[in-house]
Amino acid sequence: MSIEIKGVTKRFGDFVALDDVNVSIPTGQLTALLGPSGGGKSTLLRVIAGLETADTGHIEIEGVDATRLSPQKRNVGFVFQHYAAFKHMTVAKNVAFGLEIRKRPKDEITDRVHELLQLVHLEQFAHRLPAQLSGGQRQRMALARALAVEPSVLLLDEPFGALDAKVRKELRDWLRRLHDEVHVTTVFVTHDQEEALEVSDEIVVINEGRVEQVGTPDQLYDEPANDFVMSFLGEVTALDGVAIRPHDIEVSTAPLQDRALEGTVARVLRIGFEVRLTVLTLDGEEVHVQLTRTYAHSLGVREGSTVWLTAAAGATTRPVPVAVPA
Amino acid sequence: MTSSATLTRTAPRPPAELRTARPASTLTRSSGIGLGIAMTWFSLLVLIPLCAVVITASAGGWTAFWTTVTNEQTAYAIRLTVSQAALVTLVNVFMGTLIAWVLVRDRFWGKAFLEILIDIPFALPTIVAGLVLLSLYGRDNPLGADVANMPSSVFLAFLFVTLPFVVRTVQPVLQELDRDVEEAAASLGASRFTTFRRVVLPSLVPAITAGAALSFARGVSEYGSLVLLSGNLPFSTEVTSVRILGSIENDNVAAAASTATVLLVISLSVIVLLDVLQRKVGRRA
Amino acid sequence: MLKVVRIALVVTYLFLLVAWPVSLVAVNTFDGGPQALLDVLADPDIQAALRLTVVAAVAAVLINTVFGVGMSMLLVRHEFRGKRVLSALIDLPLSVSPIVVGLALVLVYGGRDGWFGPWLESAGFQIIFSTPGIVMATAFVALPLVIREVVPVLDEIGVEQEVAARSLGANGWQTFRRITLPGIKWAIVYGVVLSLARSLGEFGAVKVVSGNVLGETRTATLVVEEKYLNFAQQEAYAVAFLLAMVSVVCIVVVALIRPRHDGSEKKGARA
Repeated sequence: MSIEIKGVTKRFGDFVALDDVNVSIPTGQLTALLGPSGGGKSTLLRVIAGLETADTGHIEIEGVDATRLSPQKRNVGFVFQHYAAFKHMTVAKNVAFGLEIRKRPKDEITDRVHELLQLVHLEQFAHRLPAQLSGGQRQRMALARALAVEPSVLLLDEPFGALDAKVRKELRDWLRRLHDEVHVTTVFVTHDQEEALEVSDEIVVINEGRVEQVGTPDQLYDEPANDFVMSFLGEVTALDGVAIRPHDIEVSTAPLQDRALEGTVARVLRIGFEVRLTVLTLDGEEVHVQLTRTYAHSLGVREGSTVWLTAAAGATTRPVPVAVPA
Repeated sequence: MTSSATLTRTAPRPPAELRTARPASTLTRSSGIGLGIAMTWFSLLVLIPLCAVVITASAGGWTAFWTTVTNEQTAYAIRLTVSQAALVTLVNVFMGTLIAWVLVRDRFWGKAFLEILIDIPFALPTIVAGLVLLSLYGRDNPLGADVANMPSSVFLAFLFVTLPFVVRTVQPVLQELDRDVEEAAASLGASRFTTFRRVVLPSLVPAITAGAALSFARGVSEYGSLVLLSGNLPFSTEVTSVRILGSIENDNVAAAASTATVLLVISLSVIVLLDVLQRKVGRRA
Repeated sequence: MLKVVRIALVVTYLFLLVAWPVSLVAVNTFDGGPQALLDVLADPDIQAALRLTVVAAVAAVLINTVFGVGMSMLLVRHEFRGKRVLSALIDLPLSVSPIVVGLALVLVYGGRDGWFGPWLESAGFQIIFSTPGIVMATAFVALPLVIREVVPVLDEIGVEQEVAARSLGANGWQTFRRITLPGIKWAIVYGVVLSLARSLGEFGAVKVVSGNVLGETRTATLVVEEKYLNFAQQEAYAVAFLLAMVSVVCIVVVALIRPRHDGSEKKGARA
């Protein structure tokens, strides 16, 4: 295990940011810390980096007790949401900073900077100032700067949070590919479940200062440990006393199964390839259903149609009550 | 160098500039009239009188001007004023930055009181400033260090009246500075001193320079606080402003205007010089 | 440890340079009880000086407020030729020696051989050695203070709200009074308070233009100098105490309102 977090608690005044957190982060993997804003995930990342000190508990990085180490001595790379670029230094100087601090020979620094700028596709911008780069480019520079010192772990705090949707998606794919190339143990914080599911090898779900569940993206999605994880990772609706994902409900225009629930389509909403139905069952329950465009078309459902609903075989279900996300 | 020139031309405008970009609005009728009135008043109050000083100074020709300002007593006053103002500015660059740092970064009891102390020299009437300095550093003072009528009184008075400038220009910049930049430097292994020197200080340089310029200009033009404190002794504690007043009182307006012109030129050139410097640094940030 | 050293250094420096000397004005004024202050307040010459000081300062502040707000609007909201030069020149009065200010005004408005003075005098306006001259000298030295406070705030609030008001049918004056003015209100207040402090305490420029005529053109700061030089130290300290009180009150007022106003946006920044 690359990072061991044991019994870490952190308070800011009365607010408990981390409450007895225990997590192991595996070597060479890309791990996401996922959770809502203010849930403590950024604080955990900062505690790992030494930018905050835990009130109690221990942090071990690569087998070394880092609990009392200053950030300078932890050899971690940290990437900030707002880039934290050194504004008065060129891109190359930014990347070289950590190496200069470590007093590496000049030509080694030059070579390494060149290599890294190539890796993040910024070699033609080496002599520009950060102000002359776009947000995405600045974040790639920040990543190269963090990687330059060959950190034992790379920590990213909402690295794509300040970027617009399109750039965010590009950078996300690129980070995944970069990680496959570099293989440094990477932990990144995000509140976007799609980002976490798409990029990471493992996800740690954190809420209200506690770890809710740790697992692969598939495990979390298919076997959520509790209602919070289930509703945080995707949409949830209630059908016949169980919480279920809207795309796990089967719709038919005839009562094919005994347990099928009859209802009337109250609303049809079409979004690209997806069709969302709101069905009012006979007991007055409102059920949300997701279908593909072609399937909805073949069924011929429209507002006012009578339909029968059943849970699909192998669907993830949990007993209600459930918090339906707003 | 040529490459950097092309670079600035082709480079995209930084977002900060985009944010402040205003529509190229021309003046409307009423705002045009407003500008006219404002300019008339500004000219009558400031521009025309200052021009009158320069024109009066040049009325006697270059030789007369040069003879006046190189007069032994005048030259001594100018040298004293400039050297003390420069020395004080140097102290302010260090102390002002330190005070700003403490006010922004450190938490301690009584900080609000210090904030008020910083502004007092700006608001206190200069004659009162001279009087208060005299009561602590003058004859029979509680400290036993009598600077009254000594050249060091000029240094002390300048130090008092220029206190707020560097502090007040550096403080807001320091407040706005992103802490994550310093955290980034720390996690890359930089010590606190290295982080300050290589990451924080470069961002403060434009503000420090601006504060230094104001401080120097204020020092050079100081008058009121010296009246009671320095004794205005020729070849010892007489500063340029006092020398000008002496000429006015002797009805030698031409000499007064000549010396005043030197003062104006010094203040202006320092401001322009440091403005250019600041612009250069500012463009990079 | 380093923190303690630097705080101690700053506190000592400010104590020796500002706090201790300034506090001595109060100490010296009340050396022999409150009598000195009461005597000074009862002196008709000093009463006249105080009255003149207040009148000149209020007049100068009024002029500078109207001029400053108008000039700030022009500099921030409009584009015109020579704007950059103008905004640089606006700051000039802060770095001109008060003696030079006085000299400059005398050269133009002096009744004997000023540029405009004799002509104005024949039309019945005496400026130098009279109240208008004192007001002008005071207005000159405090000229940039309102502008320096208002311009950054105007810049910061931007034009969006004004454009919105215009699109809702407000005319220029309505937009200014109902949208812009509330936004820059506090900046104007700081500017006015600072200008007032500065104006009440102007010395050098007033000394040159006033003629220092007892009971007529002598201001409070001139009284301090005159009393001190005539060995009436107690009276000098008493008047200085009054002036210092006003400026300290001004600074405290600004310090009290400023954080409440400035802090509002900063709080959420870190969350």
